[in-house]
Amino acid sequence: MTVPSLGEQYSGYARQEETLRFGMWIFLASESLLFGGLFALYAAYRGMYTADFDEAVRHNTLVYGTVNTYILLTSSLTVALSVWAIRRERARLAVGLLLATVALGCGFLVLKTLEYIEHWREGALPGPFYHWAEHPTFGANRFFTLYWLMTGLHALHVTAGLVVLLWLAARAQRRRYTAAHHTTLEMGTLYWHLIDVVWIFLWPILYLI
Amino acid sequence: MVSRTHTSPEEPEGIPLRTYAGTYVVLLVLATLSLLLSRIHFTGGLAVALVIASSKAIAVLWFFMHLVEQSSSSRFAVVIAVSLMAILAGLTLVDVATRHTFPQKAEPMPSSGFYQR
Repeated sequence: MTVPSLGEQYSGYARQEETLRFGMWIFLASESLLFGGLFALYAAYRGMYTADFDEAVRHNTLVYGTVNTYILLTSSLTVALSVWAIRRERARLAVGLLLATVALGCGFLVLKTLEYIEHWREGALPGPFYHWAEHPTFGANRFFTLYWLMTGLHALHVTAGLVVLLWLAARAQRRRYTAAHHTTLEMGTLYWHLIDVVWIFLWPILYLI
Repeated sequence: MVSRTHTSPEEPEGIPLRTYAGTYVVLLVLATLSLLLSRIHFTGGLAVALVIASSKAIAVLWFFMHLVEQSSSSRFAVVIAVSLMAILAGLTLVDVATRHTFPQKAEPMPSSGFYQR
């Protein structure tokens, strides 16, 4: 059983782990503000072009967005359970749960790609490339530009999250995490949960209403 | 300071399995509710959708992200982030909502002839 190294500035593992946790939450706060800028832009344009946005939302690909929502919610469960498993010294189960999360994340990206292809065929592209003749308004253009920006940035985060999860799975496989010391694993899973929380807000404003 | 997540194999601390499962069920129910409500068009639909989304986010933050067992410093970081985002989005929205110049000036000059009102 490996014991993590203790930085000499810390009075003990408890202090080191609390610092890790606080630092991770600060990072998550900054990541959410990155998305926050886009949410603010969305709020502004929706206020300016309300009717166009309403119509554009109604013609967005609801099934893709909804299935992806359920996929991400389930992946949040599996990744949270990986921490539960490590706390009971069940490293193999934790690895399996992390890999299940990766599989769900890949499923999300596959559906996202198919969805982007459909948007590309319809002409619902961002900015000056927009040419969806059935919804030719400037407001619809703004909606789909924001759609591509927000879901694109989110998909980049999902991809980075998959790398993080694979790294965590590899370390868990090598029994680097124990019930007593698994803060790094827990903090890594927080990144995946943030992706889920961002999508929880993206889904209603882009697909539902 | 004693670590709240220090465990031993004999008696693991932390959130029990049924809480994870219950949270997941609540998330699924709220998502389905949001989907069904969005199919009925009523005033304030967006606000309701955002309230449901916020509830889901709080459930994920509190249980899946273990805020329930973490220190007040970590919780405070979340409160700050949410408050700052609310100010950012809120004041931007108030800005455009109280302007009197759009949409007459917000549209680009019709060069390609593609955009229609």
